[in-house]
Amino acid sequence: MQLSLRRLLHNRIELLLTFVVPIAFFSVFALIFGNGIGSGTTPKVKVVIIDEVQSPDSTAIVESLRNSAGLRLMNDDLQDEAFSVNDASDMVRHGSVTIAIVLKSGQGESIRSDLLADASDQVAGQVVSALVGRELVIAKTRQAARARRTLVRRPPTDEATAVPNQPVRQPPAVAAESLDPSELVQIVDVIGEDKANPVVSMYAAGIAVMFLLFGATGGGGVLLDERENTTLDRLLSTELTMDQLLLGKWFYLTALGFVQVCVMFVWGQYVFGIDLLGHLDGFVMMTLVTSSAAAAFGLFLATLCKTRGQLNGLSVILILTMSALGGSMVPRYVMSERMRELGLWTFNAWALDGYDKVFWRDLPADALLPQLAVLMIAAVGFLLVARALAIRWEFD
Amino acid sequence: MIHAESPALEIVNLRKNYRRIEALRGVDFELGRGECLAFLGPNGAGKTTLIRALAGRTRPTKGTIKVFGHPIDSIGARQALGLVPQDLALYGDLTTRENLMAFGKFHGVPRRELKKRIDWALQWTGLTDRAKDLVGGFSGGMKRRVNLACGVLHRPKIILLDEPTVGVDPQSRERIFTMLDQLNDEGASILLTTHHLDEAEQRSDRIVILDQGRVIADGTIDELVLSTVGHSRLVRVRVDRPLTAPVTVPGDGVQRRTVHVGEAGRDLIETRIDDVTVNLGPFLQAVQNDGYLVSDMEVQAPSLHHVFLHLTGNELRD
Repeated sequence: MQLSLRRLLHNRIELLLTFVVPIAFFSVFALIFGNGIGSGTTPKVKVVIIDEVQSPDSTAIVESLRNSAGLRLMNDDLQDEAFSVNDASDMVRHGSVTIAIVLKSGQGESIRSDLLADASDQVAGQVVSALVGRELVIAKTRQAARARRTLVRRPPTDEATAVPNQPVRQPPAVAAESLDPSELVQIVDVIGEDKANPVVSMYAAGIAVMFLLFGATGGGGVLLDERENTTLDRLLSTELTMDQLLLGKWFYLTALGFVQVCVMFVWGQYVFGIDLLGHLDGFVMMTLVTSSAAAAFGLFLATLCKTRGQLNGLSVILILTMSALGGSMVPRYVMSERMRELGLWTFNAWALDGYDKVFWRDLPADALLPQLAVLMIAAVGFLLVARALAIRWEFD
Repeated sequence: MIHAESPALEIVNLRKNYRRIEALRGVDFELGRGECLAFLGPNGAGKTTLIRALAGRTRPTKGTIKVFGHPIDSIGARQALGLVPQDLALYGDLTTRENLMAFGKFHGVPRRELKKRIDWALQWTGLTDRAKDLVGGFSGGMKRRVNLACGVLHRPKIILLDEPTVGVDPQSRERIFTMLDQLNDEGASILLTTHHLDEAEQRSDRIVILDQGRVIADGTIDELVLSTVGHSRLVRVRVDRPLTAPVTVPGDGVQRRTVHVGEAGRDLIETRIDDVTVNLGPFLQAVQNDGYLVSDMEVQAPSLHHVFLHLTGNELRD
């Protein structure tokens, strides 16, 4: 025990990492779920509203929802109020908004609502349903009050005179309907309703990206092993150059990562029913680019560190943090706006957004352009930095 | 490409500084074609720095290195060199054949020749029957042989060996030198660093001794002996009891002068004798005349060991 403790005390970096890793990891989760950076920035659900009723009551509902703290009305941002239900459905499908609220006429003067939702965000549907339901109930109560006042002001009829003790009758339409919000709001899943086990593909992507990163840093660490056992020195005394060495390792790690993710999704297809073959083009593009970015990241970390021990500590901190922020562990929709923005600095987030477009939203390959571009730029950037850092190994 | 007259390696005023430390302070020497040169020096003398500079792994601060008359960074120069590092720079989780294949490719051995070269290397190292075994499970001697083979698979004209036999048993050492002799006989020039002075003495054509970043001796073993300790033999005689006083060996008035040898209180007498046939008899007679009986005697010829210690001193170089 004394021996182990003394060895740990002599290795300052390992000592630091021993205590920093759990703190860093805990902090990330505390920020996601707690009251840290995310404090006061409860995630607002992006919605659009299509008011098919166009009555004073429906306008009042729209205004009330506009002022709701839990919603971000995108109608104003988009400056285009002429949405059709199909347009709104497309916006949900493309991920521009999370939910489209369609206000419709119910029985009589009542208003009901369809929520065109993206079921991948399971929280948003419930939040919006509650908020819209509340507004609909308020509107309905208002209508009922108006109807009651109308009845009271109406001149007495013979029938009423004949039965003086009979209570004032409710308007038939209002009286027949319930005030239960759940009956006024219907959630329509516009993306996942015709899919077999669609959520599994998202978890598969999340896990795959995290393991790509772990695999790539482990593979990149071979460079440090080779340096420590002087094999690197020997390799560089041959005709092999550092450029060739790094590129060779990058290609290898990319190919290995690609095969690793493919095997995982093939397993997912046969065991969990992921529709891999139906999304093959998008999957191949995303996996290739994500693997290449992860491989470059692994080499970057390896060239940044001096020893395998340092790499292990640093990679655990970074990968777990990136995975937590980027949505590999916890869906990003539960995070605050600020944490979501922070997550965009991780390539887990970009990769998962890409896989989301492929498997969940069924978007064509050209819709992947932003994700592919960011991941490719990351790959090239990391590779160039790794090359620059490796200069110190070329000569004494 | 290869200049007919130029030596295999020509090192002129080579200097290497690591910040304030001068690892090489102007090294000059040549390695002739087909020559086997032993490069000696105490720890920290600069041997490994020099080997690294020759292998292109460190940039000299000053000076030039020429390979067959061409600068070391010219095209083809590196191909003429084969480095066998002191550490076992191998992939333990690959088989012998896979290691050879990897280093053969990195050394630019053409694909069509690679299999032939690997077969040759396996036979040369005596590891044909272990071709498919992982190197990680080999003995130290076997690993050394694979280490050597990986460095010469491309048939370099100059082989740089940094302590090629460190940590191996005498049998493996003998085998390794037989392998090196074979390459040397085929025309390869060899530059060998070692701390095994007997190896250097027996296996090399010439010896260069480096100390504190400078070449302090360069020549054949005979030249070095003559220029340092001379050809006198060291004679050690153990007597039956401690001396009461130094023994007086009388001179003959012509070639020998009278000398006093040994120390009072010690039973071991050490002296140097230029000509054993002439001087050994009178010396032993003088011991006997003083009343002592010789119980043991040893005559040592001057060796590289004596030359080395003579030139570099007895102080530790840590």
